[in-house]
Amino acid sequence: MAAETSRARWSPLTLLAMLLAAAVMLAPLVWTLLLSLKDNSDLVGNSGAALSPPYTLENYASILQGNQVFRWLINSFVVSLGTTAGVLVLCSLAGYGFARLQFPFRRTLFVFVLLGLAIPEQAVILPQHRLFAELGLHNSYPGLILPGLAGPFGVFLMTQYFRAIPVELDEAAMLDGASRLTTFWKVLLPLTLPAQATLGVFTFLASWNSYWWPLISATRSDMYTLTVGLASAQMNYAQTSGLGFLMAQAVFASIPIFIVYVIFQKQIVRAMAGTAVR
Amino acid sequence: MRRLSPLVALLLVGSCGGVGGDDRTEIYLQRFFGECGAEFGGATDVSKVEGECGIVTTMINKFNAENPDVHVSSNVVAWPGYPQLNAQLAARDPPDLVTMHTGMIPDYAAEGLLEPVEPYLAQAGIAPSGLTEASRSAVSIGGRLYGLPFDTHGGLFHVNTRLFAEAGLMRNGAPVLPTSPEEMMAQARQFTERTGKPYLIQSLVGDNAYAARNLYTYLLAQNAVFFPSPRRIRLQTPEAERIVDFFRAITASGTSTLNQDTPAAIASFVSGEGGIYPTGTWMIGQFEAEANMPGRPLYRSYAVYPYPRLWGEQVAYVSGHAWVVPARERTPEQRAAIARFFRFVADHNFDWARTGHLPAFQAVVDSAAFRALPHRSNIAEVARTGRPLPSGVQRQNAIEGLVGEEVAAAFNGQKTTRQALADAERRVNALLAELD
Repeated sequence: MAAETSRARWSPLTLLAMLLAAAVMLAPLVWTLLLSLKDNSDLVGNSGAALSPPYTLENYASILQGNQVFRWLINSFVVSLGTTAGVLVLCSLAGYGFARLQFPFRRTLFVFVLLGLAIPEQAVILPQHRLFAELGLHNSYPGLILPGLAGPFGVFLMTQYFRAIPVELDEAAMLDGASRLTTFWKVLLPLTLPAQATLGVFTFLASWNSYWWPLISATRSDMYTLTVGLASAQMNYAQTSGLGFLMAQAVFASIPIFIVYVIFQKQIVRAMAGTAVR
Repeated sequence: MRRLSPLVALLLVGSCGGVGGDDRTEIYLQRFFGECGAEFGGATDVSKVEGECGIVTTMINKFNAENPDVHVSSNVVAWPGYPQLNAQLAARDPPDLVTMHTGMIPDYAAEGLLEPVEPYLAQAGIAPSGLTEASRSAVSIGGRLYGLPFDTHGGLFHVNTRLFAEAGLMRNGAPVLPTSPEEMMAQARQFTERTGKPYLIQSLVGDNAYAARNLYTYLLAQNAVFFPSPRRIRLQTPEAERIVDFFRAITASGTSTLNQDTPAAIASFVSGEGGIYPTGTWMIGQFEAEANMPGRPLYRSYAVYPYPRLWGEQVAYVSGHAWVVPARERTPEQRAAIARFFRFVADHNFDWARTGHLPAFQAVVDSAAFRALPHRSNIAEVARTGRPLPSGVQRQNAIEGLVGEEVAAAFNGQKTTRQALADAERRVNALLAELD
């Protein structure tokens, strides 16, 4: 009802502006899609050829015929799902701990965790790579998943969410004889599902799009994720002699992400609007 | 927990790594040039495939088919593959064979990360004297060879002969290329007056290699010593100034394209929108394909030549691809297999030369088969006149980026010649000082 009222207030000018903005946002996506449907040789001299037929699915067929593309797809799913599951478990536990438990240096430790937000991945890549080499974890799923589990943003998000839940709920559960673990598992955790959905979606997307760590950790092609595998399939000067194929790769790699967006758009919008944390 | 079980199982399976092999000697090869297993995964007839990816894939297939006691397992890396190689070296698990640009070899050789390859060449019966001067010098450091050259590549003048004819710049069926800066400027004006199109297609945006290639080529032609030592560059010289001044003048004369990046420049050339596009050997195949397609602007209108001599002597700045052997422990059988692969690569040097790159072996350059390939007789001399940067200069890729960026700014008129050369010299020397 509120949405209908606010929509009724939109002037034609506002609607036109919104439509224009949407068109501007969509233009590169449509352009990418059209390019992906053209024969590579048609685009060498004039990429504007994408605006007119004939169109072909040949570039997509080339991707699907690739020796290992489905292996890379599975790798990406395993790594992204594994990372997401791990982050949700760890961040929920850490968030609960920081929000509810009293222990020495709690605040200091929380600040220390948050400092992780300020450290770029590249700053720790050398010792991280060395550590994983010593442990023999390169070219393995744990090697691809474990670095993604260190998620200060997730800890912060879950801590804030747990803090927003009234302590009276814990006290009531404990008065009924629930242990701390039962209180966490059966009372508080279900209340954090919106935050977990937000965190899960963001973690999955970040992991799916990750390129730098998989590039240097998975050095054998059977362990490539989709982003690295598709990049390896590109020849030099792909932007000229293989533009259609390049765009088809971009579209193909983004299909799972698109599906995730469609399914979880409510959580994503809430997260973007900052309403996931009460 | 029940829902997590399949995931845990997958993780465990994934962490188990590869399974044991068979009795064959395993060689782990890592390369760029793209992945095309879908199209060429089963091909073994190298003569029937085209393009870098197709030819190298088929060569490896053929080697495996002809050598049942050896298995070359190949890994295709995202271009250019050095981040992965660095990671593998850091993890002390490098491949046995790697494709490498010859300009990168000094960086790895200086750290002791590459094996000198003379023992492999000797075992394979490959005489270094059979290599072209350009390819041999590109892999030589301190008198040692650090790779088996695969090819030589460098800049060429790709010419639209239809537009040249329209401009009155064809003689006996061949384009008239300039022999001096003054003549080139006069030709450029004549060309643009008569055709209404730019004489020179330049990729001066985001293509640092273009400007650097022009500068290096004509510095080498003038015998300028611009690397007095491997740790110092000298660019504030009359030789460098006259090159930059000339390209700056031709860009300002209205006879050149402006503000084009590489894809735009390539598109301009294949669309028949300019006379000369100076770019590398690697574009020959694509331009030749356009020239053979009826209805295309470049149809029957394409020729290619080495950079013309404008100053000094006829020289081309070149680089190349090589097969290098990262240092690590290996069994005698693996070393023998690498030598055998080297022999195979050398024997198929002509096949690789069909990509447009110049052969690494002089006998192939001189062969009738090579000269019969389109345009190769025009450009074969680059194997003789080609020169890489001086042996031992490290960070060549980064240096090319810095020099190209500054010099392109001068070509574009964004900086004065002197300022650009001074800035390039300062930035490169600061980079090289970090090596000390």
